[in-house]
Amino acid sequence: MNKTYYVCKYTPVELLTALGGKCEILNEMPEGFERAEQITHPNICGFGKAVLEEVLAGNIKELVLVNCCDTIRSVYDILEDSGQMDFLYMIDMLHCDIECSRERTAMQLKALTSAYASYKGTTFDKAAFLKAFQPKERTQEPHLAVLGARMGQELFEMTSNSMPLPVVNETCVYNRSVGENLPSEDMDFDALMEWYAGELLHQIPCMRMMDHAGRKQLYQDPSLKGIIYHTVKFCDFYSFEYADIKSHTDVPLLKIESDFTLQSSGQLSTRLEAFAESLGIQKETKKERTMGKGYYAGIDSGSTSTDVVILNKDRKIISSVIMPTGAGAANGAERALEEALEQADIAREDLAAVVTTGYGRTAISDGDKSITEITCHARGAHFLDPKVRTVVDIGGQDSKVIRLNEDGSVKNFVMNDKCAAGTGRFLEMMAKTMEMSLDELSQVGLSYQEDITISSMCTVFAESEVVSLIAQNKRTDDIVHGLNKAVAAKTASLVKRVGGEEAYMMTGGVAQNKGLVKTLEERLGTSMVISEKSQLCGALGAALFATDI
Amino acid sequence: MEIIKTFGNYVEKWCENTPDRARWLLTKGWEAQDMKFRLAPSKKINPSDQYLARMMMNVMLQPLKHPDQSVLVSVFTPCELMQEAGLYPYNVESFSCYLTASSAERAFLQSAEDSGLSETLCSYHKTFIGAAEKGLLPKPKCIVYTNLACDANLLTFQRLAEFFHVPVFSIDVPSGQTSENVAYVAAQLRALRGFLEQTTGHQIDEDKLVQRVKRGYKTLQQFDAFQSARADRFIPSDLVSPLYSGMTNNILLGTEEEALYTEKLLQDVKKAPPKKGKHIYWMHTIPFWSDAVKDALLLNDDVQIVGCELSQATDISRHSEDPYEEMAMRLIYHALNGPISRRINAGIRHAKQAGADGVVWFNHWGCKHTLGGSRIAKKRFEEAGLPTLILDGDGCDRSHGGEGQTSTRLGAFLEMLGDFAHE
Repeated sequence: MNKTYYVCKYTPVELLTALGGKCEILNEMPEGFERAEQITHPNICGFGKAVLEEVLAGNIKELVLVNCCDTIRSVYDILEDSGQMDFLYMIDMLHCDIECSRERTAMQLKALTSAYASYKGTTFDKAAFLKAFQPKERTQEPHLAVLGARMGQELFEMTSNSMPLPVVNETCVYNRSVGENLPSEDMDFDALMEWYAGELLHQIPCMRMMDHAGRKQLYQDPSLKGIIYHTVKFCDFYSFEYADIKSHTDVPLLKIESDFTLQSSGQLSTRLEAFAESLGIQKETKKERTMGKGYYAGIDSGSTSTDVVILNKDRKIISSVIMPTGAGAANGAERALEEALEQADIAREDLAAVVTTGYGRTAISDGDKSITEITCHARGAHFLDPKVRTVVDIGGQDSKVIRLNEDGSVKNFVMNDKCAAGTGRFLEMMAKTMEMSLDELSQVGLSYQEDITISSMCTVFAESEVVSLIAQNKRTDDIVHGLNKAVAAKTASLVKRVGGEEAYMMTGGVAQNKGLVKTLEERLGTSMVISEKSQLCGALGAALFATDI
Repeated sequence: MEIIKTFGNYVEKWCENTPDRARWLLTKGWEAQDMKFRLAPSKKINPSDQYLARMMMNVMLQPLKHPDQSVLVSVFTPCELMQEAGLYPYNVESFSCYLTASSAERAFLQSAEDSGLSETLCSYHKTFIGAAEKGLLPKPKCIVYTNLACDANLLTFQRLAEFFHVPVFSIDVPSGQTSENVAYVAAQLRALRGFLEQTTGHQIDEDKLVQRVKRGYKTLQQFDAFQSARADRFIPSDLVSPLYSGMTNNILLGTEEEALYTEKLLQDVKKAPPKKGKHIYWMHTIPFWSDAVKDALLLNDDVQIVGCELSQATDISRHSEDPYEEMAMRLIYHALNGPISRRINAGIRHAKQAGADGVVWFNHWGCKHTLGGSRIAKKRFEEAGLPTLILDGDGCDRSHGGEGQTSTRLGAFLEMLGDFAHE
């Protein structure tokens, strides 16, 4: 028998079950949206495209939707137009929970009963209806919660595995709370539907409801120890709630965004692990170590370079290396470590502990422990200058802003999204367009004459703006200044999101770009500490963590 | 243009520390524009459109000059009750457009994003939220909104009500076109009357409301008659008049000014010369700020925009003598309510009515329903014999432009429609 899939908690699942349906939540994350983007615009919510992808793959023949949002309304339009479904239905769920809404909803339920019973060739089974209610049990134990827009199954598993406490999925369809009080057995069908309409509408509201004040109970739970707030690219609903929560909660909060594909898990896993580290709840499995001779190494395996710092037992840097990562994080790390050992004139056996960080950290088997670059950057920056409270790190693949506590631990952090806007990669692409090296680009832009604004932050559009500025014979300094302003605006936005405070330190290779640093300083209205060791900050933090082992 | 850019820069800059001063500057700048419309209107457009520009400018100035008598509404909220309660309605979309036209949108967009709002949110809403929360916009008396016709309404107005600490009234509009749904909305509109009376202390006269709603219906009929009459006429067309009419025929529907505007339209069309060039019907908003679109379509004898769906969203074949039911019908049978096929069918009907040779479906960044339905729309319009261009862009945010692409796509489409010299 075909399963009937649904996507929304307002779906009358118990009614469909009572009509002989076997219902299942549709929540798969596809590899990509190749099929979906052939029939719809790419800029709709990733979950909507995931639904289309599943249907077009031939995996779904029965689907009951709710007019949740503009994207799901479009998904319904597209699927209806495609004629590929055996049963496709959209419930016109109202946006408020008042007496007359219940009446209208009961009518909707009866209309669905008629359509679904006719499709299945069944009738309403009252006993099956009453049996179908399975009230959700809420944990009283310390836990973390995923809130916000629906999270794909695979991402939720990855999140749960990264965290030191149990994680409850409170997103979207997963915080369904229908039938906590069951109706009396003597109700007839009409009375049951009236009651059921009230139950459906009276759940913890989702953000598409006009009054969503009831959602506060999701984040005001005393046993809640942290929130992972998830948004989906091109779904706007939950950014409003996130903006509200972040200024009204003391519970540790991490925001992540996915496009509902399996891609970009690398960047999300870094954030999740850094958040888990910042909670200060240990869930670690240390490797068995052999005693060394009082030297400690940190290896930062980044997308562009691999950096190594070796400290002695007094936490003095005795050698440091910056090398291109090349092919394979493990090989790059091995070469850089050898070079650092040689510089320090010590052997591998002299190292008491090695901590790895950066994107390639988990690929390196040599380390005793791996810690995210966010936690390491914070510790490294604090070591270089204890006054620093905000670290701005613009790397090749991403940019991040980290807020520090007084002891150098992470208070909060944000990273850019998947798009390259505002990262070193953006500048690299623009340098290519202007036929300059990245080094050359970082030397110009200080002596601009015309204040040019590059309005597009999209790398592709910005490239076309730069091409047209070149065609207009604009001065190189002026164009580069415009680019620096664009990156500075994006970075300043991250600083605002995290609530940056002085003193600021800039780390990463882009810290050497004088024009950008100056523009960013102007934008932030303050000066930034730029250490000569800024590029080694991550490896330094890792080495400091190694001394704790 | 440099003057406007400098003006916008100062509005943005002063807003950082002295929002009252920025609001003063904005008001003075818009008053100067209003004066220009009165004393030296553009002779390149018809008298009806000159009148429309003044009318729209006045709508924008009222909340700045009389915030305590203003009501912030969503784009398709019926406004007759507010007018009867002595309030000046204004909406998010118009205000944000005027800020963009004043080159003062960037800082507000950025500020909204900095607060955590997503960059994929509709830029009209983002600009408005940013401007409100930076203190540029004064506190309105109250807020009234509906979920029609986009998700952003469900979010923006509650947030602004909390920010301004003002009473808010929401009208829930179901998607289905049924008499029960009309009754459901009409009941809410009756409750709106009580809300407005309580908020303003002004009693709404039922007889005057009936007359106002009747006048509104007649206004819509006159506008429809004009759209039919223009099919074989030449009417000079700019990029903002179709948007203005889309806004005023909601905010000002039921007023004598709006009725007069449609009378002027009918007078102008009688004197208009025969059709020349090609007619384009425009779906969704128009990126009036875009140089690429201006180059192609602004006051061009070879091609003119002859209508915009936003000014013809009401199904005038539905009518009731009861004012609440009449306003409820406008919402339930609205072209943008329900499945995309309703919107497409209305677009085809109205494009043919105005003698369109082609259609532009504008995929405003952030408008998921427009984006989601665009492929179906192209297919249906073309099956109906109307060549259709899907154009991606943004009605408000310049950074989503891609001017080169817009120019190429629009230029090629116009060339494809043929038989006129396009550069």
